[in-house]
Amino acid sequence: MGIAARYHDGLTAAVHAVDLDHAAGTLVVRAGDGAELARWPTGDLFAVPSRKHELRLGANGLPAGARVVVTGRENVGRVLATLPVLTEKRRQQTGREIRIAVTATVALAAVIVAYLYGVPLLAGRIAGLVPPAWERSLGETVARQMEASLGDSGGLVACDPDPDSLANRAIARFGAAVLEGSGSPFELDITVVKSDIPNAFALPGGRVFFFSALLDQAETPDEFAGVLAHEVGHVAHRHGMEQLISTAGTGALIGFILGDMTGISVAAGLGATIIDARFSRDAERQADSFAAHAAERMDFNPAGLADLINRVGADDDFARALALLSTHPLTEDRKAALEVLSQQRPTGLEPPFTAAEWSAIRAMCGAPGKIKRK
Amino acid sequence: MVWGQERPVPVKFTGTRGELGGMLLRGYVLLIPTIGLYRFWLTTWKRRFYWSNTEIDGDPLEYTGNAIQLLLGFLMALAVFVPLYGLFFYLSTQSSEAAVIGYAGVGVLLWFLMGYAIYRARDFRLSRTLWRGIRCDQGGSAWNYAFRRFFWSLLVLVTAGLAYPFMAGNLWSYRYRHSWYGDRQFGFTGSWKQLAGPFYLSYVAIVLLGAGGLGLSWVTGAMPTVGVPRPGGVLVMLVAAALIGLVLLYYQSRELSRMFSAVRLGQAALSVHVRARGLLGRYMLFGLALVGSYIVLAIGGVVVVGALASDAFAGGEFDPAVFMQHLQGSFAVLVAIIFGYLLLLAAFSLMAELFLGLGYWKLVAQGASITGLDSLGDVRARGEDTRLGGEGLADALNVGAY
Repeated sequence: MGIAARYHDGLTAAVHAVDLDHAAGTLVVRAGDGAELARWPTGDLFAVPSRKHELRLGANGLPAGARVVVTGRENVGRVLATLPVLTEKRRQQTGREIRIAVTATVALAAVIVAYLYGVPLLAGRIAGLVPPAWERSLGETVARQMEASLGDSGGLVACDPDPDSLANRAIARFGAAVLEGSGSPFELDITVVKSDIPNAFALPGGRVFFFSALLDQAETPDEFAGVLAHEVGHVAHRHGMEQLISTAGTGALIGFILGDMTGISVAAGLGATIIDARFSRDAERQADSFAAHAAERMDFNPAGLADLINRVGADDDFARALALLSTHPLTEDRKAALEVLSQQRPTGLEPPFTAAEWSAIRAMCGAPGKIKRK
Repeated sequence: MVWGQERPVPVKFTGTRGELGGMLLRGYVLLIPTIGLYRFWLTTWKRRFYWSNTEIDGDPLEYTGNAIQLLLGFLMALAVFVPLYGLFFYLSTQSSEAAVIGYAGVGVLLWFLMGYAIYRARDFRLSRTLWRGIRCDQGGSAWNYAFRRFFWSLLVLVTAGLAYPFMAGNLWSYRYRHSWYGDRQFGFTGSWKQLAGPFYLSYVAIVLLGAGGLGLSWVTGAMPTVGVPRPGGVLVMLVAAALIGLVLLYYQSRELSRMFSAVRLGQAALSVHVRARGLLGRYMLFGLALVGSYIVLAIGGVVVVGALASDAFAGGEFDPAVFMQHLQGSFAVLVAIIFGYLLLLAAFSLMAELFLGLGYWKLVAQGASITGLDSLGDVRARGEDTRLGGEGLADALNVGAY
């Protein structure tokens, strides 16, 4: 060939300006004066990645740093034409890397799919292993944090602090009846608190808060009983704990995908929101169905819960567009599902509250709109 | 040989911005089907580009690492992070005081681990750098480096920054005294003395500028206790901030120049001259490129949305209700949000790499020259570094540069 090149023997940092020859399956490296510096069998040759118009050759069985470097488009072309084994080996190497990348990607995709379908189950199992005492103390911590964040409006103040009042006894009896038979290790502690935010929620460990503004909006006992039964469903299924576990898992997974285990990036937040919102919607549906089953033992229409939620905040176009990001299913979908579930309710059941109890519950926070605020 | 000793050889950089840009764009596209795993290949290609285009005396550097090593390193780092993550989770369920103390503890631990990660990452890159067939390497101990960095940074914190030149001198020196080219050890002639002048000058300037800027803007009403800030006062604050930025660039250029120029390899000596205005130019270009690319993306977004939901813009006014009806399919919205976000992210990291990453590398490479290169001809190779995947922790902690 007689192509000019640079040669490093991989043993010392000396540079040799050399001529390359190709003879009988061997690459011969000759110094300027014709002395032979090296003979590399072409079968052992490989090209390492380099910049444009430069070809760097190494060979198996030689020092790792031994290189023959050819520069210039024309020279590189000639060497590649003479030694097709180089192109072939490069293709093999690329193929190997693609196979590894595809395998790793498939493995990661499998992990994600397993996560999406497995974690609701797994989180349930893990939540089952968490000692109830720990979950109760966690619930206390959350309640304290919530009181602190609601500090401006006076924290979570019970409307009726007397646990033996007619209303509180009726609510406690209803809660216990709903929870009965679910095998839950927790005792319910349902409190109706003063707040002008229409909301109700269950904390890990069995504490349920029902805000007075939501009670004011309830028109029938069905609606109040439906929402309360739904919250008890969250307690029975230990959704608070499950959610905590699945959120932590999601954070770890997203961090792994993005390579940012510190998990501070916005993308991690968005991804985690989408996945967690899905779990949360599943949990809401589970709690709805729990309420519907409770309604097979007591006479209230669980679809009332959807009516109450709809009255508080109807789905708008925006909510529909962002439904995948929302932690709750669309109210209209929930109502439809609850109506299907409540079709097989037996007749002749006891109502959850007597008329006297219901009016006591309605009155426990005072007249609507007269909540004292400081 | 004697005449060769004094001949300074400039370092050349032969890569172009277009080449790097094309490679990055291809890599970003491939990140999507590989769910982000292609980042290990992208990093490898990027390094091959930087290394192979940096030419010293006719021979470019060669990066011999590959993507599989980075992937393995990341998996190993997970072994550290999964327990830490578990700890985080446990802390988040505790009472708020315990959680705050716990988080602070984990934060300090991470700060410490960062030093370890930085040193290991440098080891990984150096031991995969080849020049004239001879490999570089790094000795020393990553734990030692992590401890030094950790306690120096505490001291810097306690002394309100005044101890910084001592820390920088110490760490630069540790890094280079434990670096090898073949069987020849690097040396370092620098110390805090070269940094003290520019540092304390900049320190005083920043304190004066900060105090002056705050005082003047207080007088001119940038921070009234009630009402809106007056534009004059805000302008004063912005000018002060810009001047502080210039002082920082001045100091950065001095530290880079003086510390790199203290690097020795036997009789060979590196000399680097980086100017503050060179650094300033990089940041200005980056800012302009970023604004430009975001304007292009915004126009593109409006055109796409306009085409998809043209009736929402009927009569020259935007009708959100009609627009929302177009987004009925929740899935379409999700795809739009993710796609838009990825585009913004890609534009940012593309511009950062093209104008800051490449710009910085070129600035240092083109400002560098080496004397006494001929003395390196008899450097011999050392044995193989068989450790693999040393960089995982750096990747996971986001401290990996280049």
